[in-house]
Amino acid sequence: MSKPKVLAATIVSAFIGLFCLFCLGWTIIDHYGKKTSEMGANETTPIKKNLPDDFTVVALGDSLTRGTGDETGKGYVGLVMEDLESEYHRKPLIHNLGINGQVSQELVQQVKQTEVKRQIQAADVILVTIGGNDLFQKGQTLIDYDREAASVSQKKYLKNLHEILKDLNHVNDTATIFLLGLYNPFIELDEDLDTNRIVRDWNNETAEVVAHYKNAIFVPTFDLFQLSVNEYLYSDKFHPNKEGYRLIADRVAPLIKWEDEER
Amino acid sequence: MNNLIQNEMMKLLAKKRLVIIGIIVGILVMMFTYAQYKQVKEQQEKLGTSDWRAALQQQIIDTQNRLSSNRMLDEWREQLEVSLKQQQYYLDHDINPSEPGAATFTRMFLENAIDLFIPLLIMIVASDLVSSENSQGTIKLLLTRPVERWKILMSKYVTLLLSVSLIVAMTALLSYLLSGLVFGYQGWGAPVITGFDLKGANVDVSQVRLVAQWKFLLMDLGLVWLVAVVVGTLSFMLSVLVRSTPAGMGIMLAALISGAILNNMVSSWESAKYFFMVNLKLTTYISGTAPPIEGMTLLSSVITLLVWWGLALIVSFAAFTKKDVY
Amino acid sequence: MKQVTLSVKGLKKKIGKREIIKGLDFELNEGEVFGFLGPNGAGKTTTIRMLVGLIKPSSGSIHICGYDVRKEFTKAMQHMGCIVENPELYPFLSGWDNLLHFARMLPKVDESRMNEVTELVGLEVRIHDKVKTYSLGMRQRLGIAQAMLNRPKLLILDEPTNGLDPAGIREMRQFIRKLAEDEGMSVLVSSHLLGEIQLLCDRVAIIKNGEIIKTDTVESLLSTQERIIWRVEPLKKGVEILSGYTDITVEQNFIITAYDEVETPEWNAALNQAGVKVHEMNRNLPGLEELFLQVTGSGGARIE
Repeated sequence: MSKPKVLAATIVSAFIGLFCLFCLGWTIIDHYGKKTSEMGANETTPIKKNLPDDFTVVALGDSLTRGTGDETGKGYVGLVMEDLESEYHRKPLIHNLGINGQVSQELVQQVKQTEVKRQIQAADVILVTIGGNDLFQKGQTLIDYDREAASVSQKKYLKNLHEILKDLNHVNDTATIFLLGLYNPFIELDEDLDTNRIVRDWNNETAEVVAHYKNAIFVPTFDLFQLSVNEYLYSDKFHPNKEGYRLIADRVAPLIKWEDEER
Repeated sequence: MNNLIQNEMMKLLAKKRLVIIGIIVGILVMMFTYAQYKQVKEQQEKLGTSDWRAALQQQIIDTQNRLSSNRMLDEWREQLEVSLKQQQYYLDHDINPSEPGAATFTRMFLENAIDLFIPLLIMIVASDLVSSENSQGTIKLLLTRPVERWKILMSKYVTLLLSVSLIVAMTALLSYLLSGLVFGYQGWGAPVITGFDLKGANVDVSQVRLVAQWKFLLMDLGLVWLVAVVVGTLSFMLSVLVRSTPAGMGIMLAALISGAILNNMVSSWESAKYFFMVNLKLTTYISGTAPPIEGMTLLSSVITLLVWWGLALIVSFAAFTKKDVY
Repeated sequence: MKQVTLSVKGLKKKIGKREIIKGLDFELNEGEVFGFLGPNGAGKTTTIRMLVGLIKPSSGSIHICGYDVRKEFTKAMQHMGCIVENPELYPFLSGWDNLLHFARMLPKVDESRMNEVTELVGLEVRIHDKVKTYSLGMRQRLGIAQAMLNRPKLLILDEPTNGLDPAGIREMRQFIRKLAEDEGMSVLVSSHLLGEIQLLCDRVAIIKNGEIIKTDTVESLLSTQERIIWRVEPLKKGVEILSGYTDITVEQNFIITAYDEVETPEWNAALNQAGVKVHEMNRNLPGLEELFLQVTGSGGARIE
């Protein structure tokens, strides 16, 4: 062990140590210094960069978009993507922004977010599932059905839906919006309450709203589950299972036209 | 004194401990670099784009989905909400929280290494400094020289401080150099947000500001160094008190690991914040993640650590100068 | 008047309530090799560790060349060199770096002195090799070399021949005698090899249960223990007559008495007068080992 080597190591370490001590002091002073920003962080910066020009699908909505109940985790969105890929032999871009339990009010806020808007802007197709949580409220609606409250929440929902579609159109008026209707998971449970009628009515009102927007399409799913609903439901008797999602995907996928050539 | 420090440095370098530590750090950094690289690649494949905003948006969605689950401990929910708000803040201000490049990797590596990995490295050196003299029997030669005992211990402590500094610098340097091979050596000037003020699940953004990444890195470095010094001093004390190196290491290891576990569960046990091991994650205060126990601040943690440091030093010197050597 | 290099007065050590060392007093003079003997657990090692400052005495004083080990530790240590138990050096450093390490802890020890001690112990060839490649004998020599760095007046060696082969032991013995005679050092040696002490030391202290039982020169210690072994017939009558003169022990068919230059012939004459046949009269000078066993009570005297 040569003396100069030891000495050099000692001196270098000593300098590093002093430097670290200095950094430490500076950090504490800086942390409590309450300086204002040097870079102006408080105003929202608009995003200039655009997403790639590929065929893009944005999926918005609730647990159905998320794919809850499908043990493979794909959900109808994932299955639709697979269908598209096998048909066109190319992979479309997908932004799945579905959040479990999302209600229409929350989706109104979500589509106003900067990054979400940017993704919507780049979208060719927008898939939306919303309203299920507004209507069923995790089954609460059916346990003590209150016609008054139901009609209030339905009105609110329809207003929100208007706003969502308007915002989507505002950001991107070329994308096709597919809004999926509700199915009735409680079809076999009902005894005195006519859930079918309630869901049908909800779907009709939704379709009326969708009709106001020329590039929006209402896709019914009610009929898919009408017979033998339990075969297509997940163990929670609310979300579709893998087969259920397959049914939905089979309905949605053929509606989507990948018109890549003309872009 | 200078001669004594030279002696200790000579022994330290001859034992090749630092080389071993360097190799450990190197291997780990390479592993993490590869893991990170794989993760980025996979995410790009999944999203079909390399745009970080889409990735971050997806993270936000994932977090929101986790939050929607009812079966979640309140404190985890709180932490998730905080990180959600920060992610949203980054996204809204078009700032990439993980700007690709070696500088970001180094920052993340240091932030993740501060509470367990770096202390472990320090332990390799610190827990051995005195007890190895004991187990080799060389302590008898050392203490029968015409030099006061406190001077001998002081020279060892100074050597500890020097090697701690060296190890911290080496870790930072190695992680920068090695990860740069994959991610490139850029990212020094990338903006990083600091100054989130946390009150429970609420994030107060009024103090938030941007700093360049290099400044943030230096802050991290200072905090990592303090943690390393404190943990080093505690191991050093154990090295004085416990004759065998493995026993000292074991005690320290148990403390560190219990700290890592406690961090996840102590939020309701308030007085746990006086444990040193709960206060090790200093970098969370400047990056703005929730501390394990509400009410802990950078200053309170630093003071807690300094108190432990001071006590450890007093105990070390008192024990070393007084104890009989058999 | 020779200078006193080590003086120990009323040295005591208590651990808890147990008194391990119960008050030792002894002195070492310049140029003297002093042996420290005792069975395991007698307190030898504890005493040596107190001498070199590793253990603090409960009471009593230790002065090395006039400096109190407790109050003027550094000054006292400057005049002392020691090896406590095995010469445990840093195996990962070279012999030279080990010397450098200890030289840096001493005032005014330069490279020429390091060369000197290397030469003194004959390690010139291997001094730059790592200590872990050394044989035990070489480590022992390196240990002595480091103890000699500061030209000590007092050298304390704990078990210096431990683990050495017979040639090594002889070499070490000559070396220690040379240090004492040529350089005027005092050497304190503890050893369990009693034969070694007998050959090596001028004076011996025998310690048992934390007390010094005897301190004397090797010669006088041995001579006081000189005995006569009688074989007489009839035994009974011989015992009767001899016990009239002195203390006796009977072992098998022998009578053992102390040896006394003047009186022994008279006892013999008395036996003859009483018609007791004296078949054998052996003068027996016990080895230090026997003496040691005797005084420490670890066993009776035996006929070899």
